[in-house]
Amino acid sequence: MIRAFKRGIGLVNGAPAVLAGVFLVTLLAALPLALTLRQMIADSIGASGLAQPSYAWWQLFSVQAAGVGRAFSPSTLGFAAVLDNVSSILDNRPHVLPVALAGGAYALAWIFFTGGILDRYARSRRTRAAGFFGACGIHFFRLLRLGILAALVYSALFAWVHPLLFGAWQQLTLDYTVEWKAFALRATFYGLFGLVLCACNLVFDYAKVRIVVEDRRSVAAAIAAAAAFARRRPAVAGLYLLDGCCYLLVVALYALVAPGARASLWAVLLLGQAYVLARLWVKLLFYGSEVAFFQGALAHAGYTAAPPPSWPESPAAEAIIRS
Amino acid sequence: MRRAIPGIVAALLVFACTVGPRTWALHGGSRDGDPGETGRTTESVARGALSARNANYTIAVRLDPAAHALHGRETIEWRNISRASTSELRFHLYYNAWRNLRSTFFREAALAGERFPPPDEADLGWTDVTAIRLVSAGRDSPAGTDDDSAAIDLIRSLRFIEPDDGNGDDRTVASVALPREIGPGQSVTVELEWTARVPRTVARTGFAGNYYFLAQWFPKIGVLEDVGWNCHQFHASTEFFADYGVYDVSMTVPAGWTVGASGRELGHRDEAGGTTTWRYLAEDVHDFAWTTSPDYVERRALFQAPGLPPVRMRLLLQPEHLSQAARHLRATEAALRYYGTWFGAYPYPDITIVDPAWQSGAGGMEYPTLFTAGTRWLAPEGATTPEHVTVHECGHQFWYALVGNNEFEDAWLDEGLNTYSTARVIDEVYRDSNHLASSFFGGFVPFVFRDFPLGRVDGEWIALYRQSARIDVPATASWRYWPAAAGALSYGKAALWLHTLENYVGWPTFRRCLATYFERWRFRHPKPADFFQVMNEVSGRDLTWFFDQVYRDTRVFDYGIDALQTAPAPAGAPSQASLRSTVVVRRYADGIFPVDVVVRFADGSSARENWDGRDQWKAFTFDRRVEVVSAEVDPEQVLALDVNRANNSRLAQPEAGRAATRWAAGWIVWLQDWLLNCANFV
Repeated sequence: MIRAFKRGIGLVNGAPAVLAGVFLVTLLAALPLALTLRQMIADSIGASGLAQPSYAWWQLFSVQAAGVGRAFSPSTLGFAAVLDNVSSILDNRPHVLPVALAGGAYALAWIFFTGGILDRYARSRRTRAAGFFGACGIHFFRLLRLGILAALVYSALFAWVHPLLFGAWQQLTLDYTVEWKAFALRATFYGLFGLVLCACNLVFDYAKVRIVVEDRRSVAAAIAAAAAFARRRPAVAGLYLLDGCCYLLVVALYALVAPGARASLWAVLLLGQAYVLARLWVKLLFYGSEVAFFQGALAHAGYTAAPPPSWPESPAAEAIIRS
Repeated sequence: MRRAIPGIVAALLVFACTVGPRTWALHGGSRDGDPGETGRTTESVARGALSARNANYTIAVRLDPAAHALHGRETIEWRNISRASTSELRFHLYYNAWRNLRSTFFREAALAGERFPPPDEADLGWTDVTAIRLVSAGRDSPAGTDDDSAAIDLIRSLRFIEPDDGNGDDRTVASVALPREIGPGQSVTVELEWTARVPRTVARTGFAGNYYFLAQWFPKIGVLEDVGWNCHQFHASTEFFADYGVYDVSMTVPAGWTVGASGRELGHRDEAGGTTTWRYLAEDVHDFAWTTSPDYVERRALFQAPGLPPVRMRLLLQPEHLSQAARHLRATEAALRYYGTWFGAYPYPDITIVDPAWQSGAGGMEYPTLFTAGTRWLAPEGATTPEHVTVHECGHQFWYALVGNNEFEDAWLDEGLNTYSTARVIDEVYRDSNHLASSFFGGFVPFVFRDFPLGRVDGEWIALYRQSARIDVPATASWRYWPAAAGALSYGKAALWLHTLENYVGWPTFRRCLATYFERWRFRHPKPADFFQVMNEVSGRDLTWFFDQVYRDTRVFDYGIDALQTAPAPAGAPSQASLRSTVVVRRYADGIFPVDVVVRFADGSSARENWDGRDQWKAFTFDRRVEVVSAEVDPEQVLALDVNRANNSRLAQPEAGRAATRWAAGWIVWLQDWLLNCANFV
């Protein structure tokens, strides 16, 4: 597990272009809405001298704003932004349509790039742009099917399990007169729900790894194989937890340095984007360490039947050739 | 001996004869000449009493926690202090608002957009009067007797009436016919027996677990005015109105449970069956509330301030909020000190602060000499929870408990005045620690925006008012307000125009106005015209033009800079002036208010102009050697009611782009973080 974790770090650090690429994609995905919002704010301020908008202005803006403007609240600035996002997931709070659509488009982009990223990490060598995008293309429709399936599973969790769980919390705490006890129970429920989300996430992650590393075409089989793989190896959960701790570390560090609502433009830009970069690094670490773990545990030459090599070969086939 | 003498002459006689530090001055009603808006004038005060004490209660009540039931027996001594006679008595039975979902309370709440899923049978509340007897009637004094009417059973004459909306399903007002008419100055004594089911907390009364907060829990007599009974049904967005009196209340609860109540404790004794009876006495109050729970932790402190009488503060705290005891007490002290200094002293020797149990829904409510605060388990310094709630509810001791306006009809008189006063105290005491705060994770985890300090006109009020600015004329009786807008008008708008008035006449004058109003109308029932009359009289200005706009109309105020131009000066301009700058100030809405305009020039100089604000727009021209760089209308924010402050200033070289870029750069991090979360779900 530790070896896979370290190897995962090595894989991510060994492919800085991948990190730079996904950072660029993340920035580009967010930029249209950010520019739209910027214009809305500029229009609202107009020629007035409100260089430092007050809360009163903010309230005026939120009343007048439509679309993405409605997503602009004090909670979206500084470290509150991170709390707001995690909280919105755990509390099942919807976002305004433009933001939700951007999330969908961005997720689609990740489905596309995941094939290339996993392929790059599994080969542990430079694949060049052609190789990277070739792998993206080859695996796209398989990963898209997996993504749709995953989205359905998560949707079901948020549509049925979450209301069930937190409806029960509501009932259970009806006679609670002590807030911390109610919060403790809610935190437990968050934990339970988070555990289910993470379990699904872990299985889908390994399904992606198996689709790419083993050149699997059947998504259902990949999910079943991923579930079996995870079930037989408790270290899989340990590795996931270790990666999760890295995320928490990044969040904790950001909490210390996050720029406030009145920080300078450069501070906001540098610290904010550094946080996004660090989050992306952690996301890639999940992929890298999971690929490393899977390869270390299962994807040896004797396990995967080698298909007739055709370029680009699957990473498993490449391993056979190497052996 | 209490003695009632009808008429203003009698009142003036009492005023002339009453002596001692606790006496209060009686004044005539409003000189505004509008009887519909002025308070009553005929009550009299017995020697040593602070109020007319014409509605006096002796109550014995037993709480049955297993059944969430109250079993009560009460004696009401009521004296007619109006100029009218009556042949009936009217009672509020507030708990009947939750007897069924067709009550006026629930109908209006549904109208306001709140959802009320049918509560469980066990969660409903009601009051059943099982017996009502006339002990005496027609006396001029409670000390006298009248054998003709002693112990007459009146229960068969009890009927439910709906004076406000004719809703036959509403049982919150009961009328009892009397065998003889009660004239001005005459008294009546009745005994009632009743049972009440305590609801799961609604409208700040009820139970949650083993926590009980009991307000509006007993049959309460209405107020007889010169024009008849003022006894409204319980509405979704209104509060209460009652005459002053003495409450002697004995409450029997399980042994070991702590009791807090209006007034002061006279003693307690253990009873058979594992119960304890607590006796409290509250004098010169118009309501009585109490609470009991086995979980309270008690803290006591003494409020002392130069020039103000000492007050024993008793804090009943939830164990999980022990670390916040000092914050509650400090906030209570702040309210007693500043309200006391600004408006008039708190005259009672005791005050009880109740920290309600979580999920009890009883927080943030005022009752005479007792109020509920409101805090959270996590309440970081830097945001003013619990301070804001504590100051506000303690402030209601002045604007509600002492100056007892009719909350059914003129809720803004106490809520508006108190919201205004609260903001002033918070600004005075907590200016450096009053920041915007949000909460996450189901509302349990707070986050304080320390670079977002809140000013007096910030907060939710201006936003709330802006949305409902034209929804109702404030002069409409509060119970007739559109239910969803009552808060915006009674709290928000009133506080904003009071703040505006303070800025307009100046704090020293405005403070004198409020202190005079407090002095004249404490322990009485003022009407809006009484308030306006004091404002005009003490400020020495006729402010009717202002009250007409903010109270009797739905005018909206919005001034802004419409244009800012600099051009070469025309021929004929002063020789040293090569440029002519023009600033156009515009009135964007229908509200009219005089405003100042400050114009700044490139050489650092500035000019200040005053505009009466009446026309739709006004242009100011300046011939200078340098160009104008900015203009601002109402720079001191005198007009707190201005619904759009963004247009109040204008720069010759707009900087909106820079500001917008910085804000968008912060927001994009939130969006990127959200996008990354989305990517985890595929």
